Amino acid sequence: MSLADGFGEHNLEDVVNVLVQVVEAAGAAIIFVGAVIAFVRFLLVAFRREGMDPFAQIRLDLGRFLVLGLEFQLAADILRTAVAPSFTELAQLATVAAIRTALNFFLGLEIKEETKLVRANKAAVAPVAAAAPPTTGAAPPGTPAQPP
Amino acid sequence: MISTVSRDAALIVTAAGLIVAAVALVRTRRAPLALALLLDFFTAAALLHLAGPPTWPALGAAALIIAIRQLASHALTAARGRRHG
Repeated sequence: MSLADGFGEHNLEDVVNVLVQVVEAAGAAIIFVGAVIAFVRFLLVAFRREGMDPFAQIRLDLGRFLVLGLEFQLAADILRTAVAPSFTELAQLATVAAIRTALNFFLGLEIKEETKLVRANKAAVAPVAAAAPPTTGAAPPGTPAQPP
Repeated sequence: MISTVSRDAALIVTAAGLIVAAVALVRTRRAPLALALLLDFFTAAALLHLAGPPTWPALGAAALIIAIRQLASHALTAARGRRHG
C-alpha cells in the first residue's frame, strides 16, 4: 500500500486548507493590529502637537506591518496552489499573488524612501538643537551675575 | 469564516483611515499628508479584503487602490522635490 493510498488526497487537501486558513488569519491579524496601533499612535501624536516627524515614523511602522502581513498572505497563496483544482482558481491565485508581490515591492521602496527622509530630518534637526543655548535652568556655578 | 471577519476588520480600518485623514487635515492643514495617511489605511483595508478565497471584485478593488496609491505617491514625491528645489 502506497503512502498516497493510506493518507488520501482529500486528507492532504484538508490539512493544506487548515494551514492556509491559519497562515492567512495570521497575516490578516498582523495587518489589522498594525492599523489599530497606527491609529492610536496617530491620535496621541495629533493631539499633543509634536510636529510632523512622528507622522512619518507612524507611516513607516504601518508600512512595515503591511509588508509583514503581505508576506504571510503570500505564503498562504503558495500553500493554496497545492490544492487549487480548477483553472479559474489558479488564475485568481496568480492575480492575487501578482498584486501582493507588486505591493510588497512598492511598499518596500516607499519604506526605504521614508526612512531616508526621516534620517535626513533628524540629521538636520540635531545640529540646530545642539547649537541652541539652554533656555531654562539655573546658571552654572561661577557664572558672573548679569547686570540688570 | 475568515472572509467575514476580515471584511469587518477592513470596514473598521477604512473608518479609522477616514478619521485619521480628517484629523490630519484639521490639525496640520496639509492635504498631501492627509491623503497619504488615508491611502495607507485604505491599502490595509484592501489587503484585509483579499484575505480568504479571492473574488474578482475584491481583486479589482485592491488593484485599483494600489494603482491610485502609486499614482498619488509619485505625484506627492514630485511635488516635494519641486518644493525643495
